[in-house]
Amino acid sequence: MKRQIPIMLAIIASVCPVIAFFFPDRWINEWFNQRLDAWMVIIASFALLLGIVSMIQVNIHKIRRRARGWGFSIIILVTFTLMAAFGLFGGQGERADGSLYPFTWMFQFVFSPLQATMFSLLAFYVASASYRAFRVRNVEATLLLIGALIIMVGRIPLGTLIHPLVPDIAEWVMKFPNTAAQRGIIIGAALGAASMSVRVMVGIERPYMGKS
Amino acid sequence: MSWADRLLFVDRRIIFLFVFVGALVPIIAPIGLGVTVSPPVQQVFDRIEEMQPGDAVMIAFDYGPSDGPELDPMANSILRHCHFRGVKVVGLSLFPLGGVDMAIARMRQLADELGAADGVGWVNLGYKDGAQAPMKAMGENIASVFPTDANGVPYEEIAMLEGLRNYNNFEMAISLATSILGEWWINLVNAQFGIDVAIGTTAVSAPKYYAYMEAKQTLGVIGGMKGASEYEELVERHYPQAKGLSRTATMGMDVQSIVHLVIIFFILFGNLMFIVTRGKKEAK
Repeated sequence: MKRQIPIMLAIIASVCPVIAFFFPDRWINEWFNQRLDAWMVIIASFALLLGIVSMIQVNIHKIRRRARGWGFSIIILVTFTLMAAFGLFGGQGERADGSLYPFTWMFQFVFSPLQATMFSLLAFYVASASYRAFRVRNVEATLLLIGALIIMVGRIPLGTLIHPLVPDIAEWVMKFPNTAAQRGIIIGAALGAASMSVRVMVGIERPYMGKS
Repeated sequence: MSWADRLLFVDRRIIFLFVFVGALVPIIAPIGLGVTVSPPVQQVFDRIEEMQPGDAVMIAFDYGPSDGPELDPMANSILRHCHFRGVKVVGLSLFPLGGVDMAIARMRQLADELGAADGVGWVNLGYKDGAQAPMKAMGENIASVFPTDANGVPYEEIAMLEGLRNYNNFEMAISLATSILGEWWINLVNAQFGIDVAIGTTAVSAPKYYAYMEAKQTLGVIGGMKGASEYEELVERHYPQAKGLSRTATMGMDVQSIVHLVIIFFILFGNLMFIVTRGKKEAK
């Protein structure tokens, strides 16, 4: 029973939304499907809790073992505790006098600039990486290089100044060769996801029981 | 090592310096390059133009501070556009790393610069975890996912939300998205509930959405700072009252133009050196 009941629950929970989508029967849709949707929102929130617990465990383990970079684990745990305490007990947004609550202050003046800094560094690394990676070593690499140059010129206002057709050529590259490649990736991923879903639905794949 | 070999492996700090100067100069001395509008952005703009005053749009702020420089300007432009059209905006966030704060900041800016009042022209429903789960549940009943707005006011007590029960009551949904959230709005919300979905995303994510746009699963894509600058241009062209409002994406395009040119220069230079050194090796 320990094995059969979870499998039965998984099969029912996964098959019913599919049935409800194709056969919008009132009973299935209103009673069962809507209830499942509400449960899904609640269960998904527990995933966040699971992530927090896992993060704490991993970092405590790292500190205990004095693993490489354990100092960063201390920073993670301290800042996590601070932010959680500010968020849970300190209020959020603006006070009546216009000053910010600690959580919002930390978000605006610590978290946001740090994230912006990380992202801004990309421009420097992309420039350096492009210089080293985009080489005309063979036909494929040359085509990639030409495509990249067209997009880079076509996606800036200077492209129009060079020739009014440059943005149109960039748009053509995005619309046709890019779309064709993206479709291949998307369809491949979708087929993989669909086959995985069917395996879960019929009970072949059982990741919810901690094994396949 | 020959001079060409040495140039082939330029110290990356030199490249960093060129990028830094390339970014700095247009900030100090703006160039003011013109903006041409691309069809994917025009389509989103036109769809909002077709709406009548009182229609509703759902805007999902599915991004965090790292994507703010690209997505904040497009959020500002879309909010201004909806305000000028008299279209009601229901904002929400499904992105955990600060999405709700981005929504609060953008809507506060709208209120400050145009006087749009909370609960009249717009409502911010706040954040809900689980992404796909709330997306699906909102197809039946939004109030079951967001029982209150971000200020804790019950959904039923907000007059602007009267009659807005699920996606059927909205003209369109716009996801300002990073990561995979934009794709879920298309795959789940557009495909299952039939509501028009438009995507505003970072420049690196924009290419994948072209496949959905060509398949008519999304009606348009606003890609990166370029897309945001195009939307700013469209709003200013159609609404004189937008003149004088900040156009941060258009200003940013000067920087992007110069940095792109720096990158292109280094790519071409690197290849020139590569061809020279290869030619020398083959001659030996």
